[in-house]
Amino acid sequence: MTTEFTEKIPFITLLGPPNSGKTTLFNYLSGKNYKTVNYPGATVEYSIARILKKYNFEANLLDSPGIISLIPESLDEKVSIEAIYNHPRFGTPDLVIITVDASQLSRHLLLVNQLIEAKFKVLIALTMTDMLNKKGLDVSITALERLIGCNVVKIDGRVGKGVDQLLKVAEQNIQDTHVEDSHEPIVIVGKNNNSTLIELFKKIEQIERNVLIPLEGKDQVDLVSANKRLNILNETNNINLTNQLDSTSLRIDKILLHKIWGLAVFFIIMAGIFTSIFWLAAPIMNLIDDLFGYMASQAFTYLGNNWYGDFIANGIITGTGSVLVFVPQILILFLILGILEDTGYLARGAMLIDKPLSKIGLNGRSFVPMLSGFACAIPAMLAARTIPNRRERLLTIFIIPLMSCSARLPVYALLIGFLFPTNEAWLAGIILAAIYVFSTASSIIVAAILNKFKSKFFSSKDNSSFILELPSYRKPKLSVVANNAYHSAKLYFRKAGPIIIGFSIILWFLTYFPNSNPKVDTKGLNQDQIIQLQKSERLSASYAADLGKSIQPLMRPLGLDWRVGVSLISAFTAREVFVSSLALIFKVTDNTQPLQNSIIDAMRKATIDGSNQKLFTTSTIIGLIIFFVFALQCLSTIAVSKKETGSWKIPMLQLLVFTSMAYAFTFISVNGLRLLGLP
Amino acid sequence: MKSAADLKKGEKGTIMLIDETHPSARRILEVGFTPGQEIELITKSLFSDPIAFAVRGTLIAIRKNEAECIKLL
Repeated sequence: MTTEFTEKIPFITLLGPPNSGKTTLFNYLSGKNYKTVNYPGATVEYSIARILKKYNFEANLLDSPGIISLIPESLDEKVSIEAIYNHPRFGTPDLVIITVDASQLSRHLLLVNQLIEAKFKVLIALTMTDMLNKKGLDVSITALERLIGCNVVKIDGRVGKGVDQLLKVAEQNIQDTHVEDSHEPIVIVGKNNNSTLIELFKKIEQIERNVLIPLEGKDQVDLVSANKRLNILNETNNINLTNQLDSTSLRIDKILLHKIWGLAVFFIIMAGIFTSIFWLAAPIMNLIDDLFGYMASQAFTYLGNNWYGDFIANGIITGTGSVLVFVPQILILFLILGILEDTGYLARGAMLIDKPLSKIGLNGRSFVPMLSGFACAIPAMLAARTIPNRRERLLTIFIIPLMSCSARLPVYALLIGFLFPTNEAWLAGIILAAIYVFSTASSIIVAAILNKFKSKFFSSKDNSSFILELPSYRKPKLSVVANNAYHSAKLYFRKAGPIIIGFSIILWFLTYFPNSNPKVDTKGLNQDQIIQLQKSERLSASYAADLGKSIQPLMRPLGLDWRVGVSLISAFTAREVFVSSLALIFKVTDNTQPLQNSIIDAMRKATIDGSNQKLFTTSTIIGLIIFFVFALQCLSTIAVSKKETGSWKIPMLQLLVFTSMAYAFTFISVNGLRLLGLP
Repeated sequence: MKSAADLKKGEKGTIMLIDETHPSARRILEVGFTPGQEIELITKSLFSDPIAFAVRGTLIAIRKNEAECIKLL
């Protein structure tokens, strides 16, 4: 991070209960220019931004995770709450702006009250007054300011109304702070026991009764406003009005939260997300693939057939391409999830699926991360942050690598293509679906088994709980959703990018040297074929090949040899590298037909090194598919897992467990199938 | 003693107390299930768990075992 945030300008923390419109307001104040940073040594993240120039108010704005109360329930909550008191980087905020839903005053004022009690300087941004107005009610700002003891500004984050006024008051608030007034906030942890909490609610209810007023100019409440003028306002009447649930949402929920139909709709929506991750993203992914392929070949032609030409083309450009190729999927996934979250459906989905998931030690909130895992394990692990219980979060992160991520797709396509000729494409589709079902089932079984031994793996005493507000359905705010999707993609690029590119370069080195300038028989070959043959020769005498040969004894029991071993090692940068690596190692020089067909032809001819036995048979191909289902062959996943779990314990355990499972199951299936008489 | 988990779909009840021995007791209070509040069971998921209640003008889903610690009048 640059120094721009450390200057001596006011520091404002934005706070708010879930569903109070905090994220929307943050987007309004900061635009696209926020940074997401981890708390030192913790898995909790915060976003920091400068308030947009157009508001003419210079201040740093910290967006903190949505909390209900200042008293932490979990380890992660403790970190984020401590950072409100005293941020490790910015210290104590000069002002806390808290978003409060006007139609949820009796619940949301709890946090405001705690903040004021803790002696923070507080400013309320009152949101969603439109929802309250629909019920014929309004909030008396002056009464609320007087009773709660801080300034209140009405805002509509959806259109940005009131934001100017909010910042004007914020500036005023900060200027008004006298030196003698400023003191460190008091930590109220432990001070609030359950009975004081109940007292606090009673006090807030009293405030609510006094600030809710009938909306001016509404016919149906004319009688009430008449009463008010006569000062005989029936106080409880207004409370009853605000406590009514949104009738439209109730009607929608009759279907969407129905025991049977709700679940049916849920699975249709999830299947929809799942297919759109693939179908919508496929053309863009192909475009990126083609573009980087073209750039690599152009670079190679321009720089010449030498080590630096090859380094730029196959190390740097191809490496960058393999990072970018997943961006479309991540963007689409987060766009759809963001829309579902903004409408209020995601919380309902979590409720529907909580019971089955809790049986295997997970949580309703594990669902979104697991689903994201079908696109890429990296954003999936980041999405697991929404699970408040540490043990459940660790278990979710643990099984995410088993979700069949999109990088496995080209590998499966090749292997299934080998098993079935093209005229049986429908059969290939069924097999692919079966692989997805199989990998999902495996992840559930692994979770269930780990859950049995949970005390050994995940030492955490957090209480397993599912308490989730199901907000009224709302039209999603697309610009906010798009902004968040953009930031997720950026986060992926920043976290996984350097690792993938770094390892691409290391692997390039291992596959290029020491035989960097091989002699090949060029008779009757065109320029392209010569280059291709040189590449193959280089690879078969490379460090990677040495490494592959050293694991030959491990590959033989699987019916495979060192060449497949080299491809498996290369696949650690990203699984789909397996395909291009096979192409190199089996000297695929034919470019008259699609690459996949040429590789399959070469694979059919291949025999085990030093014998006449066919290398790729039905049983070894099925074995390889099973290997890819289980093996944790992705360095970026390991790196992100370490970052998200806070230690090397979980990622190393994942690597060990999944790779040995992959090896054992491949061994069993290859040899079992052979015993059954398959080739 | 009748608990919130014993309510039928569409049935209302008034909270008497929250069983403080339950580890989620504080969170349940904090989201607004406090003594004296009227709640309504809106819907149950498959296996009757979690259960969604209307409380203080919003809908909150909690697990069955958490609903059991909300004792009603």
